[in-house]
Amino acid sequence: MKKAIVLFLALSLLVVAAALPAAASQAGKLLIWADAVRTPVLKTAAESFTREYKIPVDIVEVPFGDIRGKLATAGPAGEGPDIVVGPHDWLGELVANGLIAPIDLGSEKSKFVPVTVEAFTYNNKLYGLPYAMEAIALIYNKKMVPTPPKTFEELIAMARKLTDKKQGTYGYMLPGADAYHSYPIISAFGGYIFGRDAGGNFNPKDVGLDSPGAVKGARFIERLIKEGVQPRGADYNTMANLFKEGKLGMMITGPWEIANARAARINYGVARIPAIEGKKPRPFVGVQGFMVSAHSKNVVLANEFLKGFVATKDVMLALYKQDPRIPAYKPALEAVDDNPDLKAFAASASDGQPMPSIPEMSAVWGAYNDKLSLILNGEQTPDKAMKDLAAQVRKAIEGKK
Amino acid sequence: MKIAALGVFDALAVWAAAGLLAWHNYGLAAALLIGAALINYAVFNPKAVPARYLLPAFIAMAAMVVYPILYTMFISFTNYGTGHILSQEGAVDQFTNAYYAPPEAKEYPFHAYGNDAGDLRFLLITARDQGLLTRGGGATALEEVSLSAPGFKDEDGDGVPDAIGGYARLSRLKLISKLSDLQETTLSYGESVFRLKDLEKFAEVRKRYDYHPKSEVLTDLVTGKTYVPVKGTFTAADGTKLDPGFQNAVGWDNYLAFFTDDRVSGPFLRVFIWTFEWAFLSVFMTFGLGLSLALMLNDSRLRLRKFYRMLLIIPYAFPGFISALIWAGFFNTEVGIVNRILGAAMSVTIPWFQDPFWARVAVLVVNLWLGFPYMMIIALGALQSIPGEMYEAAVVDGANGWHRFWRITLPNLMIAVAPLLVGSFAFNFNNFNVIYLVTKGLPAIVGAQTPAGATDILISYTYRLAFEGGRGTQYGLASAVSIIIFIITATISLINFKLTGAVEEMSENV
Repeated sequence: MKKAIVLFLALSLLVVAAALPAAASQAGKLLIWADAVRTPVLKTAAESFTREYKIPVDIVEVPFGDIRGKLATAGPAGEGPDIVVGPHDWLGELVANGLIAPIDLGSEKSKFVPVTVEAFTYNNKLYGLPYAMEAIALIYNKKMVPTPPKTFEELIAMARKLTDKKQGTYGYMLPGADAYHSYPIISAFGGYIFGRDAGGNFNPKDVGLDSPGAVKGARFIERLIKEGVQPRGADYNTMANLFKEGKLGMMITGPWEIANARAARINYGVARIPAIEGKKPRPFVGVQGFMVSAHSKNVVLANEFLKGFVATKDVMLALYKQDPRIPAYKPALEAVDDNPDLKAFAASASDGQPMPSIPEMSAVWGAYNDKLSLILNGEQTPDKAMKDLAAQVRKAIEGKK
Repeated sequence: MKIAALGVFDALAVWAAAGLLAWHNYGLAAALLIGAALINYAVFNPKAVPARYLLPAFIAMAAMVVYPILYTMFISFTNYGTGHILSQEGAVDQFTNAYYAPPEAKEYPFHAYGNDAGDLRFLLITARDQGLLTRGGGATALEEVSLSAPGFKDEDGDGVPDAIGGYARLSRLKLISKLSDLQETTLSYGESVFRLKDLEKFAEVRKRYDYHPKSEVLTDLVTGKTYVPVKGTFTAADGTKLDPGFQNAVGWDNYLAFFTDDRVSGPFLRVFIWTFEWAFLSVFMTFGLGLSLALMLNDSRLRLRKFYRMLLIIPYAFPGFISALIWAGFFNTEVGIVNRILGAAMSVTIPWFQDPFWARVAVLVVNLWLGFPYMMIIALGALQSIPGEMYEAAVVDGANGWHRFWRITLPNLMIAVAPLLVGSFAFNFNNFNVIYLVTKGLPAIVGAQTPAGATDILISYTYRLAFEGGRGTQYGLASAVSIIIFIITATISLINFKLTGAVEEMSENV
């Protein structure tokens, strides 16, 4: 019995001693959360940083979808990282939650494509170092569509010819009930989700979903259905799979489908989204970047790392090679300009608008998708659906509280 | 041996508790230590022998069932969600540590000097041969100095002193290693305040906010506006709100939203009725099919019974997530296999995910596929327990197959199966996976201004409420709805148990 107690006490002391340093402060050491794609590139950047600054850098692989949620719990508890990788449309939520700190790029700022800096600016402050941008464009199967259409009228005529439901082939498709993919059609007519205030910030009180442009856009979507060009039940997976099988002539989606098309040995091309009634479609531009945690004990070091070791042509190019998205860093963008896919996506992005990053967007996506599905299924007129949608979003934002 | 195992266990418990204490998680640490103490008591006290067996289960239940429920209850009384993640101190910290660059702010290159005691002095170079210097010893006030004054040694002649008094200039690497401390340093010169901008410079800044802890008033030093906390957000008199907000107790607000906010209450009844139908039909259909198959497999005239049994259990052995996703593909209106077959056979196209009725049929079919093997297995087991003599006696009395099933098989089966059916009902009542993976609660309802679709059940509706709020996520509101669902499910289960007499029957059989 006595022995047991002695043993117990000894063991307890040992483990207590081992446990305490684990909770020590992490000042003087950088911790980065990045997803599997970014991690290997950052490792090399981190090695050169450590060589020059003698500051250890830990890169922890966190699944992309988990970064935002984990930061919300770990950050305030003092267990979070110094730097995270994420898209700019997280900004609103992260800033409202007090999780990220503004950064200062100084003179480096001019080396980034302006729309990417704009995207990472929130409440007039810059919150991230952008590294890539993306926007959707027209991806077509060259076997079925030798030259891409310049206007939607051309596209409709081509799609009609190519669509043969008996054979299971389709001329054109975009995920129907999907606000993100349908946005170019809405925006071509001047429709928008949130307007901007005098300071250039998104204004949650200016909901443009029932603006004349948005309604016209919704009517155009209905027309595509009625003409039999856009299949009613088309969702993202249907579209992507049909294209891989070579049974779809044209789709509107982003660069992430290129790898699949290549793997399926489809002879594809990328072009700007065709003009709609003479107007330019404006897709959403999404920007990925590095953000510094508001709870970081190494804000200055983190800034030094980003400015000096990530914002370099080599690292930006390595990030591009790992995952071919349009570089936001001009020297890297110029270096990869000979890639025709990239050029086309970059052209599409240059027409685009940054996706609103205010947290109020959470009230939009689901409701917007729902109303689009009602239009697609012919259960509601576009006019009524968009009016309902705007009312629903306004109600959610203004709320009862 | 027993004692050694207990020693290891206690050591682990103390280690974990120490870790929790270090993270300031006192509640959990206390709970852990109390649990460990109880186990020790049970092991050492011969009177507590039954507790030795009950305690582990009890503690596991407390940790995995009771604690989450209590935590959900706690959250339901707060506004936890987007904009309300930090504590009030955490939010105030961010405001009081916010600085901005005033117009024409000055930036100066700086150098740090240290002595053997680890004491630091900072030199900001303002012009050729001129600078601002701290006295050292933790002083943060800057004083004007001339770099050619006595005590300044510039041996390499680069215009930067290599030593000042007994302080030697820090190398770049030394400086880098101290950066994380330096970023907290604020130097003052008259009215001006300087903070570390980057590795090379100190920049003039001004404090943005001032906070009075007693009155809880936050003043914006630029605009002069004052903000007071209102429901977890610093709000000005004109309604301007500041980010970030903080977590705050909101009393019964989240529960009241259930009655006052028609975004919550509007679709509740409709969703509730469908949830009930969904749970009932799921149990009824899976049990019906499972029992029919079990009766067939139980018939000794059937050949290859083992083979069929194995085959029929496959849907159960397959991960439900994958099955649900595959079925979602089968039902795809355009290219799904179901519509292809129907189209070829009868040239009809069913709008599976576009029409509320068919969407409901689709989720029920998927749930039938996922659920019948379980019912089949329990029915098979229960059928074995019905004594064969009963059937023999029934045959003697002239009962036909139909009678035997209704009078003997079913009543006897129910004794064993009824509690499981009640459990299955409660499970399906909250069967988020199937709904979310197959239809996501869609199709949308025409004219609705609330985030609820035709196949949304209460729990998937709660999910949409939580994540499609007017401003990001609303965990507090979602927790309140979850608690209400919990109360509803618990009540229904209790009534079911009473009605079927499941509990009583069970205790008689024990």
